[in-house]
Amino acid sequence: MTAASLIRAGAQTATPWRFELDELGWRDMVAALAHDHDSLPFAGLWCDGVCVHALFLPHGQPLAATLALDDGRYPALSPARPVSAFYERAIYDLYGAEAMWAVDVRPLLDHDVWLNTAPLSPTPGMAGTHKGLVRFQPAEGLHADGAQRDGWGPATGGMGSPFHVGLAVSGGRVLGAQSQTGYAHRGLALRWRGSTVEQAARLSSRVAARCSLAHQVAFSWAVEAACGHAAGVPAEHARVALLEIERIGHHLYTLADVAGLAGADLPASRCMMLRERILADVAPIVGSRLLMDTCVPGGVRVKQMAQMAELCSLVPDIARPGLAELNQLWRDYPGLATRLAGLGTPAAEVLDRTGLDGPVARAAGRDCDVRRGLPAYEGLWRYTAGPQHGTAQDRALLLLDEIAESLGMLDRLAGRMGPISGPGTLSLRDGEGTARVEGPWGSIAYWVRLHEGRVAQVFYHTPEPATLMLFEDTLRGCAADDIALLASSLGVEVAAQDG
Amino acid sequence: MGLMRAVFDMAFRPGMQRMKPQGPGWPVRLFHIDTGGCGGCGMELQALSCAPFDMQGAGFGFVHSPRNADMLVVTGPLTRAMAPVVQAAWEAMPAPRGLVCVGACALDGGMFGENYAVMGGLERRVSIDLAIPGCPPTPMDVLDGLRSLFRPPVPAPDTQGGVAAGGADGAGG
Repeated sequence: MTAASLIRAGAQTATPWRFELDELGWRDMVAALAHDHDSLPFAGLWCDGVCVHALFLPHGQPLAATLALDDGRYPALSPARPVSAFYERAIYDLYGAEAMWAVDVRPLLDHDVWLNTAPLSPTPGMAGTHKGLVRFQPAEGLHADGAQRDGWGPATGGMGSPFHVGLAVSGGRVLGAQSQTGYAHRGLALRWRGSTVEQAARLSSRVAARCSLAHQVAFSWAVEAACGHAAGVPAEHARVALLEIERIGHHLYTLADVAGLAGADLPASRCMMLRERILADVAPIVGSRLLMDTCVPGGVRVKQMAQMAELCSLVPDIARPGLAELNQLWRDYPGLATRLAGLGTPAAEVLDRTGLDGPVARAAGRDCDVRRGLPAYEGLWRYTAGPQHGTAQDRALLLLDEIAESLGMLDRLAGRMGPISGPGTLSLRDGEGTARVEGPWGSIAYWVRLHEGRVAQVFYHTPEPATLMLFEDTLRGCAADDIALLASSLGVEVAAQDG
Repeated sequence: MGLMRAVFDMAFRPGMQRMKPQGPGWPVRLFHIDTGGCGGCGMELQALSCAPFDMQGAGFGFVHSPRNADMLVVTGPLTRAMAPVVQAAWEAMPAPRGLVCVGACALDGGMFGENYAVMGGLERRVSIDLAIPGCPPTPMDVLDGLRSLFRPPVPAPDTQGGVAAGGADGAGG
């Protein structure tokens, strides 16, 4: 039997796409998953203190397996889906639930400094006893003969979220790398629990600022799916427009960072100047430069609703001339293409093992884009074929291509966007909903559970764990000085993963 | 203002005249630490450090080591894992040194108040030399705030505006 049929063979729950398995059924599912990589994309593993839930998105549709914890334990998924190790480690830190036969049992979030161990479990443990700087706890395999131990982060003076990378270095080359995260853990799962939908939407805005709008839209769609509510075509068009504006701004920000770290100051400046020109027009209409607090369950909430269609025309008009110049400059700038062309090509096997999607996978020849199957993008999204060798230069060129494609979508939206009104009133009924969005660095999935008019639980899946795994692997053989550049080029960011 | 402003006055504005500061104290070097936020304030700081904002022309620049920094710029709510990192960075900075909090989270925790993993903001824990509220503040808000360090002291501190400058002795950490 396939893993999907094993899941569907479980007991049907009140949620049509979620099935409850017993432990043997769960183990069979894990065994089947080991041989079934393509048809059942993994989209997260979560705990609610009583059960663990594994979410898959075959053909974009949710399919979830639930297993009741047995004496605080459950069989791990990580032997079949390595990226699940991040979720298993987080579950242990937050709930104290142990994943049996897990491939990695290092702490992910709790470094013995919290007020309680297992703070979300019904019976939290004692306070952490560690004082001072968090210790780096490498897994086996980081040490290499003749290598020197080194580290990078969490305070690098850079602008990204804090994380640490432990390194084994020899002759200036990285022989092994392991990341340590959890520094930015804010307890989002606890903050969401019992919150109103409005409060929860504001929190989703601040999971990760780089993809704020993508998180807002995924959260809103998941709540609407749980309520059986549709926001309406104009609101969906506005959401798509905002998603693409966020993508444009994000890609320019990333390109500027990559160029700056590669020593190409002029392209970096041009990227940021173009981004600022766009934001100067976006912010007065939307009400936020980073598009925070603009999408809520039921619709959108922008400052100047009537000008959204105008904004869809305005952004391409502003961006196109600058983008053409930037494209040329990026290709012609002395040394930039050469510097990036030899950097950070992910191994195909690692891409498959992690299941990473988004621009990193697309630049390595993978055909994966959630927008293809989203009803909101019907008639808007077109496949963009780009460079496919997976180098940092390929990723940069793909980002430039995607900006052009997003501008095209805004053009098409400008002619279709009808009058938008404020968010409609939701009838909040008990239930569960999922949704998936193509964020700037890949797919973002949300699973929301509503209970008695409030948000009972929110779980999300982002590309970050897979990106970190890929980053660690791709670092091997790179110059130690290229860590920041490689992290930027691969989109390593931990704000959402730390949660 | 307190000692920090006095230091700036002594170093950069002899005779209380507006003039471009000279010498090794120029530009004012900033070391940034994200203590656990969503990254929004960090993005706006990154925007500030690039064109078209003339941050360097205004006399400020980011450095990659606290040992070279004049001021520590903190964004995000202070998590328990990052508190020792902030302390270590502060202790590594040469005196005189100052503390700048950028964004609501760094000030009072913003949306991320105290819980098992988060200590909240720095506002009631240490003396802050410059507070720039907002969620997130725009690059211009941050630049205006930084430039306020060079303005003459005002008789009655205005804490209602976009930027609040204070701190008794420039001490933090």
